[in-house]
Amino acid sequence: MALIGQDISPPDLRAKVTGRAKYAEDFRAEGMVFAKLLLSPMPHARVRSVDASRALAMPGVLGILRASEVNQPEAPGEAALTDEPKYVGEPILALAAVDETTAADAIEAIDIDLEPLPFAIDPLDSLRPGGPDARLDGNVMRFGDSGRELVSLKWPQTEFDAAEAEGRLPMGEPTDEWDHGDLDAAFAEADYVLEDTIVHQSLTHHPMEPRSSMAYWEDGRCYLYGSTQSTQRAHQAMASQLDLEPGELVFVGQYCGGGFGSKIAGVPIYQVTALLARKIQRPVMMRINRYEENYIGRARPGFQAWTKMGFRRDGKITGIDLYIIQDHGPYGRSGDYNTAGAVTDLMYQPDAMRFRGLTLYTNTPPRSAQRAPGGAQIVAMLEPLVDKAARELGIDRVEIRKINAPTHDSEFGPGRATTTSAFVREAIEAGAEQFDWAGKQALSGQRNGTKVTGVGVGLSPYVGGSSGFDGLLLIRPDGKLYIHQGIGNLGTHSMADTARAAADELGLEWDDCAVIWGDSSQHHPYSSVQAGSQTIHAHTRANYAAALDMKRKLQEVAAAALGGSASAYRVEGARVTGPGGSLSFAQAAERAIAMGGEYSGQELPEDINDYTRASATQLAGQGLMGVARDNFSHEGSTWSWVVGFAVVELDTETGDVRIVDYTGSADCGIVVHPRSLAAQIHGGSVQGFGQARSQKWVFDPKWGVPFAHRLYTARPPGILDVPLSMDWAAAGEPDPQTPIGAKGIGEPPVGAGSAAVTSAIADALDGRCLCRVPLTTDVILAELEGRAQPHALTEIHS
Amino acid sequence: MAVIRDMMPAFELFQPTSVDEALDVLERHDNTWVLAGGLDSMDWFKDRIKRPDVVVELGSVSELTGIRASGDGIEIGAMTSLRDVVASDDVRSRFGLLAQAAAEVATPQIRNQGTLGGNLIQDTRCWYYRGGWPCYRAGGNICYAGTPRSMNREHAVTGQSRCVAVNGADTAGALVALGAQMMVRSAGGERVYEAEDFFVGPEIDIERMTVLEPGDLLTHVRIPGDWADARFYWEKVRDRKSWDWALASVAAAIVESNGTIERARIAVNGVAPTPVRLTDVENLVQGMPANDDTGMAAGELATRGFKPLRHNDYKVPLARNLVRRAVRGDAA
Amino acid sequence: MEILRTAPNPWGQEVLVGVAWDLLWAAAIAGFLFVVGHHLYVWIMAPKAPKTAPEPAPEVPERVERHSQASRTFHWLMAATMLTLLVTAFFPVIGVQFAWVTIHWIAGIVLTLLIIWHIIHASTKQDFWSVWTGTKEIGQAFQAVGKFLRREPAKEERSGKYPLDQRAYHNAVTLVSFGVIVTGILMMFGVDTWFWASNPYFLSDSTWGLVFVLHGLCGVGLVTMVIAHIYFAIRPEKRWMTRSMIKGWITREEYLEHYDPDLWKLGTEPAGAELAGGSASSADADGVVPA
Ligand SMILES: Cc1cc2nc3c(=O)[nH]c(=O)nc-3n(C[C@H](O)[C@H](O)[C@H](O)COP(=O)(O)OP(=O)(O)OC[C@H]3O[C@@H](n4cnc5c(N)ncnc54)[C@H](O)[C@@H]3O)c2cc1C
Ligand code: HEM
Ligand code: SF4
Repeated sequence: MALIGQDISPPDLRAKVTGRAKYAEDFRAEGMVFAKLLLSPMPHARVRSVDASRALAMPGVLGILRASEVNQPEAPGEAALTDEPKYVGEPILALAAVDETTAADAIEAIDIDLEPLPFAIDPLDSLRPGGPDARLDGNVMRFGDSGRELVSLKWPQTEFDAAEAEGRLPMGEPTDEWDHGDLDAAFAEADYVLEDTIVHQSLTHHPMEPRSSMAYWEDGRCYLYGSTQSTQRAHQAMASQLDLEPGELVFVGQYCGGGFGSKIAGVPIYQVTALLARKIQRPVMMRINRYEENYIGRARPGFQAWTKMGFRRDGKITGIDLYIIQDHGPYGRSGDYNTAGAVTDLMYQPDAMRFRGLTLYTNTPPRSAQRAPGGAQIVAMLEPLVDKAARELGIDRVEIRKINAPTHDSEFGPGRATTTSAFVREAIEAGAEQFDWAGKQALSGQRNGTKVTGVGVGLSPYVGGSSGFDGLLLIRPDGKLYIHQGIGNLGTHSMADTARAAADELGLEWDDCAVIWGDSSQHHPYSSVQAGSQTIHAHTRANYAAALDMKRKLQEVAAAALGGSASAYRVEGARVTGPGGSLSFAQAAERAIAMGGEYSGQELPEDINDYTRASATQLAGQGLMGVARDNFSHEGSTWSWVVGFAVVELDTETGDVRIVDYTGSADCGIVVHPRSLAAQIHGGSVQGFGQARSQKWVFDPKWGVPFAHRLYTARPPGILDVPLSMDWAAAGEPDPQTPIGAKGIGEPPVGAGSAAVTSAIADALDGRCLCRVPLTTDVILAELEGRAQPHALTEIHS
Repeated sequence: MAVIRDMMPAFELFQPTSVDEALDVLERHDNTWVLAGGLDSMDWFKDRIKRPDVVVELGSVSELTGIRASGDGIEIGAMTSLRDVVASDDVRSRFGLLAQAAAEVATPQIRNQGTLGGNLIQDTRCWYYRGGWPCYRAGGNICYAGTPRSMNREHAVTGQSRCVAVNGADTAGALVALGAQMMVRSAGGERVYEAEDFFVGPEIDIERMTVLEPGDLLTHVRIPGDWADARFYWEKVRDRKSWDWALASVAAAIVESNGTIERARIAVNGVAPTPVRLTDVENLVQGMPANDDTGMAAGELATRGFKPLRHNDYKVPLARNLVRRAVRGDAA
Repeated sequence: MEILRTAPNPWGQEVLVGVAWDLLWAAAIAGFLFVVGHHLYVWIMAPKAPKTAPEPAPEVPERVERHSQASRTFHWLMAATMLTLLVTAFFPVIGVQFAWVTIHWIAGIVLTLLIIWHIIHASTKQDFWSVWTGTKEIGQAFQAVGKFLRREPAKEERSGKYPLDQRAYHNAVTLVSFGVIVTGILMMFGVDTWFWASNPYFLSDSTWGLVFVLHGLCGVGLVTMVIAHIYFAIRPEKRWMTRSMIKGWITREEYLEHYDPDLWKLGTEPAGAELAGGSASSADADGVVPA
């Protein structure tokens, strides 16, 4: 029976539940010492001087590492240590000592003199005439004729005054703009037009495992243990950050307590551990605590947005005008806001759309992709508005989503891209049935004492796959199939699930397979980053390609050994069998080693990545090798969908909300691993519940210092915020553009969970849309009581 | 001096086995700290903001744990864990209000470790103060939370006096409503406080939350039988359903006969630097029917004169409605 | 001993936050030591000047008015507010806790108003400068100190209306009071009143620190001064002055004994006539009546 579609026990399960699994922090090395960071207390400052003499004189203190000793990338890149910190909590220097207490005491003994510099926490402040820039070289990055440039962009006061008078978001000159269709005509055609300013907060990723790391050097080689989403890419990235050849670095990251996009590949702070270890010639462990993780652990960018949407009487969306100001943090350039524009266009398929936006540098922690970057924010913001229109037009809310959803050949976004498939309607229908939309809809507005029921639906698309990576397989003389996986193991099981594509093609039982992952010295193929929901798509393909290569080689090896034509041999039951008899995989492996050449990896395909080549070369001669690049066709971009359905009970006297029922339904191609899919849909949705209801950032505007820097103040959802009843469904239609038919599913559940809840809350409020995420109790109660809203229209960090 | 957080510095630890021994250690040393479950204390230590030289851990003082009968009521040792308070039949059957309140503290893990005494004495969670800012409560001269731009969504709407922090102890409101007494011992002897007098507002002492001074130990909480047969109402509204302090809470003990309120004792918490006993409301509702009109009148009276800050206006209707529900007698 | 308290501000910069309350004890002890020292000095060591009986001067009335009704009212009101301020400020520090802030700032406002009244009164109705120290007085002071050091049995100088030590004291108190008042008024912006809500960002944190330090230093200084003042007020040889602050007058003998009629010319002061029916001066300076 094919493995794909079955529940299996992933190979890391036992180690995890017994505690044998080693996370970065669990590694030890002879003579290991500990490092601690000195973090910036100011949102923007310049280090005038550092006097570490008292610290260095303390017994047990071994050395410090300064910004000048780490890689300083070109602006607006981020270094691991800096002498111009641009957010509170940015690491300035690191210190190593025999134990953490000594290290911490020594950090306290460092006299550091900082010169405060102007800072911006709210993007809009930075856009005001004379407003502060978060960076000395500007507040936005633009792509001009001369390439990218950092500039100080200010909008005229008149724009702020006009916005104030009209009670909307100020919208001056953007840096990004695209459109299609005739927007004026679209709005003219509309029977119902709505317009709103909506704010979405930033949120820290807060994976369970913070980014701790351990490093030591031996014979000029660096051994680095870290937590990562994508081992092979992290290996490459860390080698490059450390100016090492990949061969000079061993990177180990077998288990990862979550990343959500914050540990996609290289993690800058790991450099510090490695460089400090080299400097003091001792193994160094740097445990990152929750407080530090809050600062250096990445975050989802917040949006201050405005939209205008036009609807025809039949529910068709005619036009969308969308403006997004993104709160970006001080480094790099996250594309969430652009993606949000594309997602909007994809999921609502308006006849005409204009997108304008810009991303502002702010003195807040650095942003990076967080599970459905851009998508999760925008759907939670816009879906309640679509509800509002549906109510106004008397159309069922599920229906209006189906009316506007894309079909397989719909186009979207600035480049008018197409998708590989879009089984959105199927997913909506499967979910509506599972959830019993018709029945639950009847509960909408029902009162039970002071509680009123709200029912919501939220649609959430996200990119679900990339292609072009390599697969690397080896049958060793023990007869087992070794599936080398360069992707990481962040708890999604995809390092196991994508391996099934190879196992199935070779007709193997799961017990005959061993997955090799998480340690660059074990030789990984060039792999996708395990982010953006690429993995299941990219690596079922790559492993399938390698399995085809292996199958051919098995046949040829058997034919060579037993006679007859290769094509006459069948691969099944861990044997290759044909007219001349049968070889076990173990025998085939022995034969392949004897034959050499491509069979044992001495000769390699031309088109594989150099990284794979190096790994394969290391493995050559040890068995029968299957190695190939994924060259399958892939036209259009791959998108997955989740639609969330939620029932909430809202207490009209307290503003309290309880999510009582939830179903998420996916279009993610075929279902590879049902239990894992359920975990993704549910886990992502719960993250979305937190986004919709409680999790946020808070900064003191005067000092630029954040408060939500502990889990209890950042408020991700707790177990009691999760409904007892959670269900899932899947359309289960294979994607025609990929041989296995599977699409990624990591991202879209977050937006679905969040949007279903913002939609359900609006429903409980008779369709009133509060245009703010999260919808905390105070916001809801102020609305219920007709009191002034606690947060100003565009206030984003309150 | 650079700042470092989340890393506990060293201190001298004492683990006495009797109250006398504990008091003796406290008497003999300066800059001491009493450690119960540590959930509040460790936070301070780890952030190196409060730095005691000597820590006196009470875990081995057996006379401070346990729940026993006392007169017509019960007496609960200060070191009794919140879990044990919740699980106690004595508490549940006669003083369910306390059990309900204690059951909603934080999370099971925290309730296993946290003690009743520690819960009552816990310091405010004002994040400016907890962040180590040199505010009034920390001995400085500014309230950073009270400015027109401050982030004070979770701060006080009443009882502010330079400091606008709130008391976060869930058990405090319940014990005020139950008319409990706090028994305090120091080298100088024993003192007994009515629950509502045990808490100190910033107008009196801006650096403390309770009457306890260095060298004092809360030994027991005594709950008299006065309200044992009352109808209780407890409700706590928070951002998350677990692991979260109250945005506001109400605790009420109401004795009714034939739908008329005979006597009531009501406290709200999370709205002021101390739990607030609503004596006026208690007087108002006496003799009135337990219905929404009375509840509304009670809620209005309770919140009269509340002074919301920039971000916490919602606490006014929230507190009003909580009192209203308590008086009305919703099934909680 | 700690004198000032500092703390890291939200950006980790060390800023002043106030005076250390050790100072309060220092001030109280200083006051006490002064009292004891002075007492011993007077008792054992002070060279006694031969008492010269004043020449009879029948033109001087039986009772010379030293303090008008208004002045006395002012003095006692101010004393009351000052004591209130001290009690409200320092009792909490020494462990007697009560809701002090509102009483304190109201007393502070009363004191401020009294002093404003006093300045206006003194500058329009009285000889404003009669109580100030000029170069002449400073010269006198040096002489006095010199004599003291040489242990010359100085003959007691008769003075103008306000003798030198009294004036010096007045000046010191004025300075320190201005200190608490100016800083106190600034501190009013940090507390909620019925008229405005507090705005702690009215000043920067380091400025607040300075304001609190000055307020504290002046406040603590007043402790010493008030102790000294009360001590003198109850000393036997000064009781006539205390009486005059209660009843308003001194006797002819006291006048002649302590004052130089050339320096305090009765009935010549600008406001005397209208206020005190021409009998004597209504003039007054402050309510403080030291040695
Ligand atoms: C994440 C988190 C969430 C929380 N949520 C809630 C909540 O929702 N509701 C709530 O009410 N609380 C909540 N708490 C607070 C927690 O319940 C209390 O901090 C805890 O109960 C304190 O008790 P403890 O025994 O751990 O005390 P400790 O931390 O040991 O002590 C607290 C304080 O009391 C003093 N103290 C303790 N016992 C005595 C004694 N016998 N005599 C004199 N002084 C004493 C200590 O010196 C210290 O100052 C939360 C705490 C955390 C960490
Ligand atoms: C005898 C005169 C005075 C003394 C001894 C005195 C002393 C003090 C002291 C010790 C404090 C506490 C400061 C701290 O916590 O560091 C204080 C606070 C205060 N004083 Fe005074 N003061 C005096 C006069 C005044 C006057 C005249 C005013 C107002 C006009 C005033 C207004 C205040 C205010 C508003 C505070 C509270 C400030 C705050 O905590 O924010 N004081 N005073
Ligand atoms: S509310 Fe109180 S604890 Fe918080 S900053 Fe103000 S003075 Fe400090």
